[in-house]
Amino acid sequence: MRVFVGQRAWLLQRASALALLLFLALGAALLLVGPPLTYERWHALATSLPGAVIIVLLFAALSLHGWIGARDIVLDYIHSMPARLSVLGIIAVILFAIVIRVALTMAAHLSLVT
Amino acid sequence: MRSPTGGAPKFLNLFHIRFPIGAMASIGHRISGVLLLIGLPLLALTLERSLSSEVAFESLWPAVASPWWGLLLVILVWAAAQHVLAGVRHLLMDIGIGSPLAQARTSAWAVILTAAIIALATAIRWLA
Amino acid sequence: MHIRIYRYDPETGAQPHMQDYTIELESGDKKLLDVLMRLKNIDDSLSFRRSCREGVCGSDAMNINGRNGLACITALSTLKEPVVLRPLPGFPVIRDLVVDMTQFFAHYHEIKPYLINDDVPPERERLQTPEQRERLNGLYECILCACCSAFCPSYWWNPDKFIGPAGLLQAYRFIVDSRDTATAERLAYLDDVYRLYRCRTIMNCTEVCPKGLSPSHAIEGIRLELVRASS
Ligand code: SF4
Ligand code: SF4
Ligand code: FES
Repeated sequence: MRVFVGQRAWLLQRASALALLLFLALGAALLLVGPPLTYERWHALATSLPGAVIIVLLFAALSLHGWIGARDIVLDYIHSMPARLSVLGIIAVILFAIVIRVALTMAAHLSLVT
Repeated sequence: MRSPTGGAPKFLNLFHIRFPIGAMASIGHRISGVLLLIGLPLLALTLERSLSSEVAFESLWPAVASPWWGLLLVILVWAAAQHVLAGVRHLLMDIGIGSPLAQARTSAWAVILTAAIIALATAIRWLA
Repeated sequence: MHIRIYRYDPETGAQPHMQDYTIELESGDKKLLDVLMRLKNIDDSLSFRRSCREGVCGSDAMNINGRNGLACITALSTLKEPVVLRPLPGFPVIRDLVVDMTQFFAHYHEIKPYLINDDVPPERERLQTPEQRERLNGLYECILCACCSAFCPSYWWNPDKFIGPAGLLQAYRFIVDSRDTATAERLAYLDDVYRLYRCRTIMNCTEVCPKGLSPSHAIEGIRLELVRASS
């Protein structure tokens, strides 16, 4: 099995980049269009079902994109296998934890609302 | 294949190499990416706080006004601007837009300068 | 003219050092190589490669004032003094400006730099339309001088696994050749985080190619071919 595949990572990096650009545009629209972003408006938007889903997707895309980028940096600069695997492992665990935590937070808000 | 130069020296002193502007944009892309990755947990925490209560939401703004958080904000804004602009440049070059050398040089300059201007504007607004 | 040159002598094994030379320019001195050849007459311990002295053989690639280039086609009038000459970055130094190209050529051979076509050959030759021939322009001119690969940061970090801009430009030259039938195998071989995907499109390669070629553009082409092949 090829552990470090080539094209898939490259494509995912670009796909997640496009998704992030879309989210960025959404965020900008949120700040620029409509009434100022008060706590009420923000809370209502973020804890609606589409809002919560978008936020979780945003963090998933950020983590995926960050993971591929971090992996590239590690492949370039860290050549000893044990060091490489530990650094990659730590990054993977942290990124995974962030996504899980955001997902749980948003889920909690959703169930509070309904 | 055995090479005749087992213990041979290598010249690779990066301070003695003249890097073209594209390489600067690339290094900027990498550095800003690392900064953003470090900032990611912070973004998650900010999100949690902003949703937890109105008091917490409102307290985010005074926090940014303190010098250290302000500095961090400016750095992260620079990183985000640099990374997004350089990223768009790369996405376009991937599909062959702007990949001839002259255009790539111009766009590399444009990315670096625009990101710097955005960071500067943020700093000025923060000071004002 | 003031020239500083990287010196290394494997016999003494002493650390490499920079040596200063001062030489009066003569009317025949047009290119950097002209001066180097005269320096060699004065100090015959100075080593560098050269052959064609007109930008064809690719043997006198070196780092000139921080950028890679061929001494024989670098005009003296374009150089700021002191002119600092070092061996190609990242390559093992054999002596002075002479580097070990073993790995570089191993990557070249690895991409099978020859036409592969098992069909029965036609009586005369395999013909191409002018359009098909046109696709080889900007690729076949490569003289394998290694200016590009030795200026590529990705190649500096992984010279053993990343094929590097020169090898990838050559790979693309055979991928787009209408007479070659091994396109799928060639692409499959390149689909690897190291061999192809270490390239971050920094374009240092294109910046320094003395033949004005664009390895980064070829690499872009390979990646698009791979996308096409897998979709
Ligand atoms: S692509 Fe250009 S720089 Fe690279 S080996 Fe060929 S001729 Fe030299
Ligand atoms: S474009 Fe790719 S091959 Fe060329 S210098 Fe950059 S990383 Fe190396
Ligand atoms: S001596 Fe042949 S390319 Fe310079």
